[in-house]
Amino acid sequence: MSLLEIKNAKLNLDDKNILKDLSFSVNRGEVHAIMGPNGSGKSTLSYMLAGRDGYELESGDIYLDGQSLSEMEADERARSGLFLAFQYPVELPGVGGMSFLREAVNSRRKFLGEDELDHLAFVKEARKVASKMSVKDDMLKRAVNVGFSGGEKKRFEILQMAMLKPKVSILDETDSGLDVDALKIVSDGVNAQRNDDNAIVVITHYQRLLDYIVPDFVHILSDGRIIKSGGPELALEVEKNGYAGLINAA
Amino acid sequence: MLHNIKGNYITSVKDHVRQYNEKSFRKLASNNFKSWPNPREETWRLSRLGVLSRKEITPIIPDYKKNFSSFSKFNGSKIIRFVDGALREDLSSNLPPGLSLNILGEEDSLRCFHKFKDSNLKDHPSTNVSFSCTPSIVKLTIEKDVKIRDFFEIIYEGGDDNLSVHPALHIELKDNSSITIIERFNHLSSLIMPLQLVELKKNASMNSLKIFNDSQQSYNLSANCTFLSEKSNYNSFSLIKGGLFTRSETHAYLKGKNCNLNLNGVYLSSKNQHHDLTTAIYHDVPKCTSKQIVRGVLGGESTGVFQGKVRVAPDAQKTDGQQMSRAILLSENATANAKPELEIYADDVICAHGATVGEIDDEQLFYIKSRGVSEKKAKLILITAFLKDIINDTVEESIQNFVFEEAEQALSEIISKEI
Repeated sequence: MSLLEIKNAKLNLDDKNILKDLSFSVNRGEVHAIMGPNGSGKSTLSYMLAGRDGYELESGDIYLDGQSLSEMEADERARSGLFLAFQYPVELPGVGGMSFLREAVNSRRKFLGEDELDHLAFVKEARKVASKMSVKDDMLKRAVNVGFSGGEKKRFEILQMAMLKPKVSILDETDSGLDVDALKIVSDGVNAQRNDDNAIVVITHYQRLLDYIVPDFVHILSDGRIIKSGGPELALEVEKNGYAGLINAA
Repeated sequence: MLHNIKGNYITSVKDHVRQYNEKSFRKLASNNFKSWPNPREETWRLSRLGVLSRKEITPIIPDYKKNFSSFSKFNGSKIIRFVDGALREDLSSNLPPGLSLNILGEEDSLRCFHKFKDSNLKDHPSTNVSFSCTPSIVKLTIEKDVKIRDFFEIIYEGGDDNLSVHPALHIELKDNSSITIIERFNHLSSLIMPLQLVELKKNASMNSLKIFNDSQQSYNLSANCTFLSEKSNYNSFSLIKGGLFTRSETHAYLKGKNCNLNLNGVYLSSKNQHHDLTTAIYHDVPKCTSKQIVRGVLGGESTGVFQGKVRVAPDAQKTDGQQMSRAILLSENATANAKPELEIYADDVICAHGATVGEIDDEQLFYIKSRGVSEKKAKLILITAFLKDIINDTVEESIQNFVFEEAEQALSEIISKEI
């Protein structure tokens, strides 16, 4: 059984058909890349998966580990093991990083029937994970994403991913706004979490990120549907020839 | 009407005032509390008092045997206690050297009166009536160079149905002195009309925290008139959570160069409460700064009002005046009004203002929910942060936790009904 399965997903925004009969599935241990030009529906896809209000499916369904997500709110999806790393992480003035992380981790632990971590145990665990991701202690003391640089915001997203240990992670344009050094740190953080039980979906414009997070499969999204799927070589083809040729051929 | 008021100075003030022949003064008291400001008056348009004229209100006769019910919230703090608007020295702490508490005689009372009459608080109902009805004007003096490190609590309590309460306090900080004063209004159902005159002399510094927590049937019409001298610093924070109707009105006059004023506050309103934070800041001289940050959280059918006026006189060059108000509505039936007014007559100034009224931010809510946190908890996190943010930014560090705990109680009241 696939870990994530999207079946004939259709979605309208403001009466405009954005996702048109979109289907693909991701198995355990796999990394999939979704590539596509501007306006192809990439961000809509990530919001739809995460369960943002207003991004409900018109028809079709999505399954996480065999369980339908379409009737679930965003928080239930996350507790069930879905994670979205935001393209633009949201600033939360007045919400401390450490307490935010703890609230998130304990919500997931409670759902899994595990004991909630007390403050000390949590801080210890968070610091351990943070140091591996080059996230300074100071960042955890500050308000979530407030005054963070682009690189810090993305590192904090991946730190959350590492703490929450999701089944499926959606990385929405995680490379945007990152210089080469930051890109490497973030990619190393993601790669460290790859294992045989989870799966990662990388959504991106450019091939560049895929040099660091090497996918098993690449899908080309255009006008709300997957027009071509293949191996990593498909990303190189996009890099070389652009999207136009693929779109015209489809 | 006023024959039952104790203290002889009041009669004298009354006589003195007759010479003014102003129609507003004593109109209220002499008219059996029936002549409240007309809603057509701009400053009372959003906070109407008409309902009070249908009540039968009499000034309270302070009961000097009445015991108190509110306890100190700080270990080792000094307490000054007003019951029924009257100073109760028997229930107050002994004051440390450099600090004195006096009941003003006629001459000083008149001086106090004139400060209000010459200010734009001259038509405020509490000015009109409390100078006639207060048992006495109490003066707290902090002597030159004295820096008080202990917390000072002033607790106002007492009151009863259909009675009005009139505490009047004059605080003077002499040159280079400093103090932190926490005032708590904890009256029973009544009409509370506090007057406060604050004078900060050269280089003096005062942190003021006011917590309005009168009973849910009360009306509180607090009027504060503050004068800042050169290099003085007034940092005030009002937390409005109690009463059926609470309006905290402060007029601050920046009279000396390089002084600094903060008039910040939070209102937390539920049920049918009406909360109003009204300020007027008068920049009369160059190189002063003033800042106002106001936030409100409203549920039920409550109403919140922020009116902030900043006037920069032609001579007040290099003024820096900032004002920002934000309100979050948790209920469809709650209302928040914000009315910033800038009157700038100088050309070399920095003045900014902004006001927002809205619901909880969708993006922030989705971000937190996408981490597995329930909607209810996510909203609580965001509202708590909304308050923590302003408290951490504006309240003196040593009392931040106290303010937050005081706010949290009212917040849980609102939230339990709305989310």
